[in-house]
Amino acid sequence: MEKRESLWERYLRKGMSRRSFLKGCVALTTMMGLSTERFQEVVEAAETQPLPVVVWIHGHECTGCDESFIRSGAPLASDVVLSQIDLEYDHLLSAASGEPFEAHLKEVMEKYKGNYILAVEGAVSTKDNGVYCMSGGRPFTRMLQEAAAGAKAIIAYGTCAVAGGIQSAKPNPTGSSGIGPFVGNTPVVNVPGCPPIPEVMTGVIMHVALFGNLPPLDGEGRPKQFYGNRIHDTCYRRPFFDAGMFAENFDDAGAKAGWCLYKLGCRGPETYNSCGNLRWFQGMSYPIQSGAPCIGCSNSNFWDDTPFTKRLPGYGKLGNADKIGLGVGALAAAGVIAHAAGSIMQKNKRDEAEAKAAAKEEEDKF
Amino acid sequence: MAQIHRMKEVQRKEFYLFSPFLRIFHWIMVVMILVLFGTGIIIATPLQSMNLEPAYSTTYVDLVRDIHFVAAFVFCASFVLRIYGFIINRGDRLFPRFWKGYFYAQTLDVIKHYMLVQPNHASFLRNPLARMSYLMLYGLVAIEICTGFAMYYMTEPATYIAQAFAWVNIVCGNEMVTHLVHHYAAWAIILFAIGHLYMVIRSEFMEGESEVSSMFSGSKFLVHYPQDASEVDPSAEKS
Repeated sequence: MEKRESLWERYLRKGMSRRSFLKGCVALTTMMGLSTERFQEVVEAAETQPLPVVVWIHGHECTGCDESFIRSGAPLASDVVLSQIDLEYDHLLSAASGEPFEAHLKEVMEKYKGNYILAVEGAVSTKDNGVYCMSGGRPFTRMLQEAAAGAKAIIAYGTCAVAGGIQSAKPNPTGSSGIGPFVGNTPVVNVPGCPPIPEVMTGVIMHVALFGNLPPLDGEGRPKQFYGNRIHDTCYRRPFFDAGMFAENFDDAGAKAGWCLYKLGCRGPETYNSCGNLRWFQGMSYPIQSGAPCIGCSNSNFWDDTPFTKRLPGYGKLGNADKIGLGVGALAAAGVIAHAAGSIMQKNKRDEAEAKAAAKEEEDKF
Repeated sequence: MAQIHRMKEVQRKEFYLFSPFLRIFHWIMVVMILVLFGTGIIIATPLQSMNLEPAYSTTYVDLVRDIHFVAAFVFCASFVLRIYGFIINRGDRLFPRFWKGYFYAQTLDVIKHYMLVQPNHASFLRNPLARMSYLMLYGLVAIEICTGFAMYYMTEPATYIAQAFAWVNIVCGNEMVTHLVHHYAAWAIILFAIGHLYMVIRSEFMEGESEVSSMFSGSKFLVHYPQDASEVDPSAEKS
């Protein structure tokens, strides 16, 4: 195996200064969600660690995660792809195509067996032997299994790769699922979102690249530094929630004034993501800031929690749980009254029969 | 004419059932369930506060949530009383006897009476249907506690206690479903309460079963000898 460059060596080869390298490392430290105390570690890793080989494959999906990724601002996606990782195979960003491209994938997988990072976007289509998602003339399932077997670590980008995505919404005609069951024992980082925040995508891949291990993960396999907070708890509209100031409709004064979207079905209280603190596209905005309630796109099964604009789902003409509950409660009360009336009648009859029996007994005594 | 017995004319036997721990727990539960349900409905569909500026307003939704959380912790803590009563007192252990064959025959007997097809049922300290309904209530309360803590502690998902309840959200599918389960189970508890209130009043005043008074005094004073008396009366067991 030939010696591969580190980030510092690549900077040197391109004639960039030590100063810009250190500035790049500062940006990386922040982006990975690390404390500034660990800046030294980042510099050391960037000087010594060879740039990671990345294989990026796409399954059953819309490629929206790539759309997000190429809008990463710090670092620029072009910097990540061209200078900070060795991206050997990518369905979307590669110029090559056809058989030579597939042959290259095979070559890379053999050459860097156990050393490359596998990034997976998109779900696995499991029904009918996976024919609903083909890649290079073969089911994507096969490609994923082969690529996962030789990978050092896997990054599951997007809710599709993590939990099946929108194509696995009921009734899930293609049998789509997350990649979890198909990757064997290779460690996986889940980076859910539809799509994930660009800086989160670059941040995770740089963490794996520089430190050679996975970032600290939570119970659902998500990196804690990006998925450790509820959007509700980091939302700039939270004071409106606490004060009971809600937008009731998309066209009312509250919506215009930027009040809390909780009553319009905002999923912020159930969703873990960095939208509230990182925001999107260099901190420009995020859904709630633009007046759209969060739909919880980084939650598994969010696609089945409809309607997105209501807090409690309705059930046809019956209404939501509170209306049904009130109705059933009223029915129960009516049932109680009817049953009580029936019981009183029954008791009177029973007492009469008992009295008659007692009277007869008295008579029989004499 | 219905026969009217005055208290003194009738021979009654005392059955000591409920320890003070269970009774205190019961009344704490009543208050807490009402508080939790009321505040919970407000949290799910908060009222507009008519504030114009959060900086100068009362944070009433926050207050209602705090009341909900405090009530939830008080309710959970009161289970210490329930469990202690369960350990020390036989009368606190009147749960269904699924493993006994007669349990099913007795259930059928009670159901027939409650459906008004037969005039009465055998007398019990606690009838098999009531036993099952209380078990169901504890099941609903367990659902509320698990889903409640799963939502409450996930503000800090990295803490140990959050990890202890994280499985609830995985079982539910995602946290939004946890919210819905919590909300629906709360309604189920209220529906249980309507039926419970009716049934205990009915048996107190129509069947002479001291269902209401025993939750104050701890004892039932009965004319008849209930079928399950041996569960609280060791002497009956021997004979």
